[in-house]
Amino acid sequence: MNDQAAIDELVYTRVFDAPRELVFRCLIEPEHLTHFWGPVGVSTPLATIKVDARPGGVFETIMVNDADGSQYPTRAVFVEVTEPERLVWTEPDSGVTTTSTLRDLGDSRTEVRIHQVNVPEEYRSPEAQAGFATSLDRFAAYLAKFA
Amino acid sequence: MAAAQDRLDSTFAALADPTRRAIVDRLARGDATVNELAAPFAMTLPGISKHLKVLERCGLISRTRNAQFRPCHLERAVLDSAAGWIEENRRTWTERFDKLDQHLRDIQTVDPTMGDDDE
Repeated sequence: MNDQAAIDELVYTRVFDAPRELVFRCLIEPEHLTHFWGPVGVSTPLATIKVDARPGGVFETIMVNDADGSQYPTRAVFVEVTEPERLVWTEPDSGVTTTSTLRDLGDSRTEVRIHQVNVPEEYRSPEAQAGFATSLDRFAAYLAKFA
Repeated sequence: MAAAQDRLDSTFAALADPTRRAIVDRLARGDATVNELAAPFAMTLPGISKHLKVLERCGLISRTRNAQFRPCHLERAVLDSAAGWIEENRRTWTERFDKLDQHLRDIQTVDPTMGDDDE
């Protein structure tokens, strides 16, 4: 069954009107991250962002809800930093691994692909891979049936 | 927070199995006994029971303690929180990308003679 090949994953892709080197810097430099890391209504104060962009280095932020001041600390560790094309970090608390792939489209445009898997690939045995059949995207569609 | 995350992880793990998804699918249409759940599968009752225990452990299903056939019941709130996590994650990245897009526009339209903060 082809479903069995898909690992639990989420993928988000976006094309930006900016050269790849600049987009990459935005993803690892606190001065840039503070401008966009929090979703709508959530700020990420510059002082709370720690980035040590090398394998084993930390990637920590505290996102602050603008409305009520509640804080959401995030903690991740870099697995791979390949400038300007690839960033991989894992969140030890949740086990989620996020891979950001930057593709130079020419014309100063860059495609960013965010690929999240629940379990770090290197930790997965072939049996576990076979068992972890459900793509989270597919899972979301599946859950939508019950909505 | 950590407990909620653990529960979510076990929910995703529980639903990674096609048999367990089929069980959840069936229970979405109404409560059912172990025998009724086992009927569509070429599986022994103990085999089905094992799957039910996994679903029960992560809170996706509950079983009546006192009734003779202990019908299984789908806990929709647990299913909803799993769906909610995915939705929230998707929204976070969408909004983050929107803001990054705006940020890239802002910094690229800055007049270079206006004195950048010199990195």
